[in-house]
Amino acid sequence: MPQVPSYNPTLSGNPMSATGRAYPNGNPEAGYNPVGVRNTDSAVPLHPKGPVIHNYASEDPAPGNLAFRWTYGSNVAAKNRDPRVQVVQYNEDTFVMRQNVCSHWEAPFTYLLFGNKGALLIDTGATAEPNYYPLRETVDAIITRIGQARGRSKIPLTVVLTSGEDIAQNQGLMQFAGRPDTTFAPRPLAAMKDFYGLAASWPSGTGKIDLGDRVIDVIPTPGTHKDGVSFYDPYCDFLFTGDLLFPGKINISSDKDFVTSLERLKAFTAANSVKWVLGGHIEMMFVPGKYYARFITYKPYERVLEMDPALIDEAITYGREVQGKDMMLIRPDFVLFNGVSPDQRTPVWPEGVPNINAPRPF
Amino acid sequence: MDRRTFLSYNAFAAAVPLSGAGLAAVSDAAAAAVSGPPIDFKSNLPATGSFPDKWICGSPSAMDNTDPPVQVHWYNQHTAILRQNKAYSYEAPFAPLYFGNERILLLDEGFCQWRNDWDLRAVVDKCIADWCARNGKDPARMELLVAFSHLHADHYAATNQFADRPNTRYMGISQEEMIGFWGMTNFPEERVTLDLGGRDILIWGSPGHVMSEFAFYDTYTQILFTGDMFYRGRCYISFWQPWFDSMKRLIDFVDTHPVTHVMGCHVEISKDNVDYAYGMNYQPDEAPVQMTVQQLREAFEMAKTITEPGIYFTGTVFLCNQTRGTTTIDRNPYRYS
Repeated sequence: MPQVPSYNPTLSGNPMSATGRAYPNGNPEAGYNPVGVRNTDSAVPLHPKGPVIHNYASEDPAPGNLAFRWTYGSNVAAKNRDPRVQVVQYNEDTFVMRQNVCSHWEAPFTYLLFGNKGALLIDTGATAEPNYYPLRETVDAIITRIGQARGRSKIPLTVVLTSGEDIAQNQGLMQFAGRPDTTFAPRPLAAMKDFYGLAASWPSGTGKIDLGDRVIDVIPTPGTHKDGVSFYDPYCDFLFTGDLLFPGKINISSDKDFVTSLERLKAFTAANSVKWVLGGHIEMMFVPGKYYARFITYKPYERVLEMDPALIDEAITYGREVQGKDMMLIRPDFVLFNGVSPDQRTPVWPEGVPNINAPRPF
Repeated sequence: MDRRTFLSYNAFAAAVPLSGAGLAAVSDAAAAAVSGPPIDFKSNLPATGSFPDKWICGSPSAMDNTDPPVQVHWYNQHTAILRQNKAYSYEAPFAPLYFGNERILLLDEGFCQWRNDWDLRAVVDKCIADWCARNGKDPARMELLVAFSHLHADHYAATNQFADRPNTRYMGISQEEMIGFWGMTNFPEERVTLDLGGRDILIWGSPGHVMSEFAFYDTYTQILFTGDMFYRGRCYISFWQPWFDSMKRLIDFVDTHPVTHVMGCHVEISKDNVDYAYGMNYQPDEAPVQMTVQQLREAFEMAKTITEPGIYFTGTVFLCNQTRGTTTIDRNPYRYS
């Protein structure tokens, strides 16, 4: 039987291929001047006379990549010497930051987006103490650099949370207290709705945050938190879902809201192009359906962060399945916990999913 | 002693009717050569000692922990208790080190494997050197027994660190080798005596958490070491009836022997009886490791009423009867309706 050799990026052994880039050295078919180049700082005059203005209008998702492995803690947490905040620049206007697993096991991801008039920080991490988790210092440094590069002395910052009540994402907020040119989305639910202009239309409406030619949509998505919101960036086509939908153990707090919110995201995805869904954590391993327990500080076999928008459909399907039942349900890319302890285990394995054990690190 | 000699040696020990005598007989020659005046472990019992008010218990950010990898606490001058730093492993087990005139018993280790992760062997060697210096002994002539309460990696994984240590014997990691190590022929009922040189350790079977587990009683400090089958936290009971029988055995023992403290391998509960969930590496307000005989009796009284799998709090410990795989105590704190 003739065999057709095919290039499988996930099996290639090339670490960059994990992000879906089948051509780590560049795709010769793609041409020399892809659409994204007009958005880059390299396309502006060397000595600009005024602030650099980026063009955030693009048909396709803005180019960028997450071709860097996330720090994943260490076997002996006390001896970890990785950066406390790992910064990965997705493209010139988009930064992804991860808290070190050994400073907090939740190892949350926070996102920093730039527009022509301001910057947006989505989520603030799990540790308030700046010596352990210097989020503000990191954000300040990035903003200063962008300001210098683009000839702007001030870049106002807006700090928002995917959930005000989530202690894995609201602790770093304290570090920004007293920061000049900074706006905070208030944490109490009513005030937060007002802030996004959703007081009358929660949870069906959408709010807007204008960063200057880059307008972020705010979508109410309660379900894992009653004040949960998701953010959509039309420039990179990212949907930031916090811990409503992420590759990990999703603790559903209200199954009705959870399904409704996912349906809202699905409708949104149908109307807007979404490249990736980016959550706030990673708890799954790279083998399907396997995940790290809570409090683990060494996760060498983590799944990648980014999720395909098709997973929203899957989450809806299985969210309906657990609705009204106290149970957990394993899927290849996430696990649903409804009404049970976050440490719940189950002997039930999803049908048709290969049951592979990742090697034990110890 | 290589593995082959070790195994044949144990066959020989098992053939000697009174266990413990076999262990003593083999190293009589070595014992004679150990210098220093013999220490009296048999009068003025129990030997007094103290536990620390607070053990090293991790830190809010594990990577910023500056405590040593293992805390060495001298309970009294002939007894050390080692406790792993929570920032090195959430299991953070306790490991007593009992000194006798001829040999030293290390009970349990810590959740670590490689010496470059953290060097348990060096810590134990330092304890032995210190103790020998204080008591005029030659460390090279003291035999070290590396044993563990049961076959879980947080208790035995560091054994290989001792593989090339001279004058050292360590347990094998199978039930046969463990039982054979103590020269038992009738596990778990048989109680054997390990003679450390004037200091007797009583050892018997204590299955229930796992099938191959032991209880240890030190006649000098009169501490009863119950391993993972009874400790201040979640006692994961895999096999109820063997566990209940083991509890009965412990109760029979404390009825007939003086016991100063009951000590388990872990602490997973706060002073206010709040559960520290499985895997947490910071326990700022943790309960003491030592328990009283009364607390053991209360747990047994409660255990008598338990007929179903589930989690039962005795006032001291959580008895997790056959629940490990399916339930824990924590809830989702954000739940709303």
